[in-house]
Amino acid sequence: MSDATDLAARAGDRDPRVGLRAVSALRRLLEQLEAVQVRSARAQGWSWQEIAAELGVSRQAVHKKHGRH
Amino acid sequence: MFERFSPGARAVVTGAVTRAERLGAPTVTEEHLLLALLDQEDTRGATALRALGLTGPRRASLEAALAEARRRGGLSKADTDALAGLGIDVTEIVARVEETHGPGALTDDRPPTSRRSGRRPFTREAKKVLEGSLRVCLGRREKTIGDEHLLLALTARPGVVSEALADHGVTYTAVEGVLV
Repeated sequence: MSDATDLAARAGDRDPRVGLRAVSALRRLLEQLEAVQVRSARAQGWSWQEIAAELGVSRQAVHKKHGRH
Repeated sequence: MFERFSPGARAVVTGAVTRAERLGAPTVTEEHLLLALLDQEDTRGATALRALGLTGPRRASLEAALAEARRRGGLSKADTDALAGLGIDVTEIVARVEETHGPGALTDDRPPTSRRSGRRPFTREAKKVLEGSLRVCLGRREKTIGDEHLLLALTARPGVVSEALADHGVTYTAVEGVLV
């Protein structure tokens, strides 16, 4: 068991490392989920504008991030 | 830097590219470096891994842990546990996403863009492992960067690979202990 696993296993732990770790993991998970959804939307013929509107970001932002593929 | 690499270390670097190609990965990651290390036979790194018991089922278990993390979009077991602490069930999320978008949907396996015509770049993290191997080598007052230095550098960088290694008893200290 790794250190972080030990940390997470301690019930009611208030160690900031556990919370920060969860935030960082969640952020990476979110990025992957976004990539999956954007790819799926593009495959179904959605425009960048439509995708951006659903994500609540600018068309440029979503195109810059996901437009290479 | 590469002129200081031993033939074994060079074989790991080129082997990592081959591993990435075979997995259809767009970039060369730390995971591919480790898989290439495991492919070596008589190098110092491979000998250290064998001495730490990473053969047969243990090696298979390590490779399975890496594949599992890949399937979870690069989240390690510790990441998954941390999220479970927030009430987020990553296994369930992966299962649902795969149900809709197919197996391995969360795996970042898009082919490289045509502009790069198949050339796979090393990720920033993987480059840091290569740089780390130089630091480890200098720190040990050795002249040539061998694959054992790559292995030490892999155990020293936080992330999926070092966690999977640590879960299989391969830590920086453990590797140092079997290198003589």
